[in-house]
Amino acid sequence: MNIEDIFSSKLRMKILKVLHNVGELNVSEIARRLNINYMSASKHMKILEDENILQHKHFGRIRLYRINEKSAKAKAVQNLIDTWQHQNNK
Amino acid sequence: MAQRQTVFKDETKLDINYIPSRLPHRDQQLRLLKEFFAFALQSPEKMAQRVIIAGDIGTGKTALSQRFGADITHEATTRGKKLRYIHVNCREYRGSLFLILQHVVSTYHPNFPKRGYSPEELLHTLTQVLDEQDAYTILSLDEFESLIEKEGSDAVYKLTRLQEMRQNKPQRLSLICILRDLKSIEQLDASTKSTLQSNIINLRKYSKQQLIDILNDRISTAFKPLTVPEGTVALIAEIAFSENGNARFAIELLWRAGKHADADNLDTVIPESARKAVSGIIPALRKSDLTSLSLHEKLFLFSIAKLFEQSQKADASFTEVEKTYAVICEEFNKSPHTHTQLWKYLKDLTNHGIVETETSGTGSRGRSTVISLPRLPAHELEKELRTLLDKEQ
Repeated sequence: MNIEDIFSSKLRMKILKVLHNVGELNVSEIARRLNINYMSASKHMKILEDENILQHKHFGRIRLYRINEKSAKAKAVQNLIDTWQHQNNK
Repeated sequence: MAQRQTVFKDETKLDINYIPSRLPHRDQQLRLLKEFFAFALQSPEKMAQRVIIAGDIGTGKTALSQRFGADITHEATTRGKKLRYIHVNCREYRGSLFLILQHVVSTYHPNFPKRGYSPEELLHTLTQVLDEQDAYTILSLDEFESLIEKEGSDAVYKLTRLQEMRQNKPQRLSLICILRDLKSIEQLDASTKSTLQSNIINLRKYSKQQLIDILNDRISTAFKPLTVPEGTVALIAEIAFSENGNARFAIELLWRAGKHADADNLDTVIPESARKAVSGIIPALRKSDLTSLSLHEKLFLFSIAKLFEQSQKADASFTEVEKTYAVICEEFNKSPHTHTQLWKYLKDLTNHGIVETETSGTGSRGRSTVISLPRLPAHELEKELRTLLDKEQ
């Protein structure tokens, strides 16, 4: 996927921001925090996972998502969020 | 404003949650506990340990376990072992295995979802988490009786036999079970009992001299030098000794005595400060016991206290209390719990020695349960509960 396609979605940015700030969450909890429905959260998270920016781990029926620390793309996204939040808090 | 005069150097050292760096008269038991878990510092994967610590209120069970936990975690870290000590008060988790395990898992994954799986799945998750992180846990189950009462043998069996379901894999979970009376274990079935009863540390009640040593130890860290005379220490030890050698009670009394001395603008804690403190303390019941009650247990106990305060009677029937409880719930804008639920609360409060119950003789209208409050002044109890309930509003 092209960079403009990935970042053109407000929801995907919100998901990345939440996971960057919180660490790891399951889909329902992300949907609850962002006030969106489960299907929508799940769809966007799959896109981010396909791009290797997110990864998940299974615990029985529970899937916990986190930012993929090994991915260079994910690191770039984290840097971007950090810089943005830092500048806005100044 | 002029600086307030105080006898305290650091009153947090008298807090119920403070873990002292040394435990007078419990060093031998601490050494024994460390011996039981010596393997955890060398080859933790080779075995899982189960230890029972038993003893009456204020005999140092919790302090012993927590001191051990802090020491072993520190030692394990210096040796590069991922060992975590997790202390859980089962009563605060309503004796539910699910809630207890959820707490344990959340120490590794703080945002782990709260719903959507069974205790078995959670137990499996816990071992998966520990395997993935190559970590080991010593789980200390304080007020273990609550877990036994609520869940029975099944839950305890699952916890203790966890390893058998995963042969030839590293052993990850050890247990310390803390309880007041070994009789509680009797309720468990034979196989569960046998998995638990290998290592027992029994704590006997403190003598008066031992209480004096404990008090002096705390005084040296919590009070300014020469502010607590020997006579006051002896008096507090004497009172606490008559309260079943309860060290927790002694320390709480010491703190209160210090507060009275401060309020009276004294530069030492005189015996009279201790006397004043004891008259203001609820005997046989600590604030911590009340705090750990659920909202409706508090409302139910509050109803009992209120009923006794208003009626000046020595006892009351369960029906009378139930009616008062309904009114109290209305006052606090809560919907009342059912009759069966209230029965459970009554049983629980009786087990903790807060209230006493008796079945009245068979009269013309059948049996009824009579409730009394023999150890506590109703107005004091009502006051304490009112403060706690207002805080929860």
